[in-house]
Amino acid sequence: MADTMGHSATATRNTSVALGFCLLAIAPQIFEFIWSIGTIFGWGAGRGPATVLISHATALVAGAPAVLIGSVGGETKKASSDVLLALIYSYPILAVAIVSLFMAIRSAQDYVGGVILMALALFALWASSDLQGMRGFSFGAGTAPRMFGGLLVALSAGIALTGLLTDGPAMAHYSWRGPLFVMASIVFFALAIRPLGLVVSAFVSFMIAAMGSHETRWLEAAIVGACLTLGCALLFPYVLGLPMPMFPRFLIQ
Amino acid sequence: MDIFANLAHGFAVALSPINLLMCLIGALVGTLVGVLPGIGTIATVAMLLPITFGLPPVGALIMLAGIYYGAQYGGSTTSILVNIPGEATSVVTAIDGHQMAKQGRAGPALAIAAIGSFFAGCVATVLIAVLGAPLTKLALAFGPAEYFSLMVLGLIFAVVLAKGSVLKAIAMIVLGLLMSMVGSDIETGASRMAFNIPELADGLGFATVAMGVFGFAEIIRNLDAGAEMNRDLVQQKITGLMPTRKDLRDSAPAILRGTVLGSILGILPGGGAVIASFAAYTLEKKIAKNPSRFGRGAIEGVAAPESANNAAAQTSFIPLLTLGIPPNAVMALMVGAMTIHGIVPGPQVMQKQPDLVWGMIASMWIGNLMLIIINLPLVGIWVRLLRVPYRLMFPSIVIFCAIGIYSVNNAPVDVILAGVFGLVGYWLIKHDFEPAPLLLGMVLGPLMEENLRRALLISRGDWSVFLTRPLSAVLLAIAASLLILTVLPALRAKRDEVFTESEN
Repeated sequence: MADTMGHSATATRNTSVALGFCLLAIAPQIFEFIWSIGTIFGWGAGRGPATVLISHATALVAGAPAVLIGSVGGETKKASSDVLLALIYSYPILAVAIVSLFMAIRSAQDYVGGVILMALALFALWASSDLQGMRGFSFGAGTAPRMFGGLLVALSAGIALTGLLTDGPAMAHYSWRGPLFVMASIVFFALAIRPLGLVVSAFVSFMIAAMGSHETRWLEAAIVGACLTLGCALLFPYVLGLPMPMFPRFLIQ
Repeated sequence: MDIFANLAHGFAVALSPINLLMCLIGALVGTLVGVLPGIGTIATVAMLLPITFGLPPVGALIMLAGIYYGAQYGGSTTSILVNIPGEATSVVTAIDGHQMAKQGRAGPALAIAAIGSFFAGCVATVLIAVLGAPLTKLALAFGPAEYFSLMVLGLIFAVVLAKGSVLKAIAMIVLGLLMSMVGSDIETGASRMAFNIPELADGLGFATVAMGVFGFAEIIRNLDAGAEMNRDLVQQKITGLMPTRKDLRDSAPAILRGTVLGSILGILPGGGAVIASFAAYTLEKKIAKNPSRFGRGAIEGVAAPESANNAAAQTSFIPLLTLGIPPNAVMALMVGAMTIHGIVPGPQVMQKQPDLVWGMIASMWIGNLMLIIINLPLVGIWVRLLRVPYRLMFPSIVIFCAIGIYSVNNAPVDVILAGVFGLVGYWLIKHDFEPAPLLLGMVLGPLMEENLRRALLISRGDWSVFLTRPLSAVLLAIAASLLILTVLPALRAKRDEVFTESEN
């Protein structure tokens, strides 16, 4: 496949890979920001969106370099968790993103896979950074996660390097239809099972999942869905004795 | 003589009506799962875990065990008749089995597969009974250092026997270990990597992850490939089930070799039924006088892998029952099932729960007998089931999985988590990462960490304890040499050869 791809095509590919990694580098921050929007409407607890935005931005731009300079100067001030996130997670991934701009990627499958795995490992390192380390010769809560996190960083770097050094398959093709509708069906089921009960949520989830294939015939799917719902409604609560709401809450009351 | 007394006790337990029924249900469900492609053993066992809540522990485990070895039977049926391996373990059976079916010899192929499986099942049952007690004694000599080294060895085996890149397989194991550490720390109770999410405080549920990575991810992947699979059903009626005398003579040594190889690979941690069937097929091809017959309907090519996968499926219970270490992902789910019923797997189970252990062992033999009696007449029904199109099957599996996960803890969050892990599993498949080592790492993680900490605490922080204790040193040495051997180019080529068998 590599020989059919022109030089310019490889270059644009690299830019998009690098851009993707940049996004990955600040993904936790973005996620927390989106999550924090909910607090405006009173859902969930945590910091408001404005605080999140400001604290992460300062941590990314100013906080982390300050700590770096400070540590050179011998200062041992405890860094905040946002700064640590920038230091442990975002900076290394950003560095990788910049590096991949200038590298010829010979196996995108390995390279991208390795880097994303590395991101996971770095994230785990950050998540366990507030845990206690070794106490004398006994392990603290954080020792093992940090140990394995470090090991995973090394291993994933190895995988990413293989992607640079040896020829291998390019990125596999992802389709969107299957994952989207199957996920939608699962999420709907999770949200609906308590308020709407088994009968409604199982049937609707079935129909949503059925949209995941372009071969679905609607009448057929509806009939099978109804039969399956009936079967589940008999099997789980009655035969197996698992407690489960059956009908929508508002109908029962 | 202990063995006979124990086995007799086991049969008394297994022959009680409720346990017989459980055994039958397990074997039937297993066959069904084995027949249907797109739904694997791991997902099924995970799905049925909550169902076993209401059952007595012996019955529950008998049923789950039945699913595992029943699936090995069922997988062969579709491999032979339709050239669709219902299970990964039957991929190689399809090569020669389907050729036989095309030549109008589907009957003998099915019969040999069943006879081979039954023979292997019988041998494996005896093997479990014989090896159980001595291994349990050995386990009592194990300290934390030895346990840790043994688990390292097991994980290395998983790497060696996994297909594809060694580096990736190790990375998957380490990721699994990391994932097992989410939740509260066993010793200090500190909340680790849980981000103050109450549902994560107890850690990631093993069933949830397994269902996501093996159940949902598989469905999404199948949808990708296009649901319309090529199903060239063998239409003619299956006649002449009985193999000829020549068939029997040809396949008898192959069955024997497959059984031996499968039994060994099953006991080894990280092994299991899939690798056993591949290895058995390769072995047959290697030692055959005329290897070119393979791929054109050689009966040995059906007999050996089918015996091997069944033997391995059963002997993989040995490390679980004696050492408390699950050698593969299905056994890991069995640990889950045992824990649900308050049984801690390990050497003490044999003494404290003789009903459970020997009842399960005896039930395996009974289950194998049931399978051979039920399955051959039911072949027609199983094949008809295959005509159910995937577009109707996959939403049903999604719903069933969702209800199954929800009912484990009555927690909607678990369902969403499983969905997320489905996407993770899809991503893993796309980047050619094997999910099986990940799951094994996740199961062994807590055990490993606990023993590592304990060993170091006893040795007062001295890491050399793993090398100064002889048993532990030997285990680690085996692990290290295995890993080195795997990376060596010559052996690596061999290992790849075993796995590429199915593609030609």
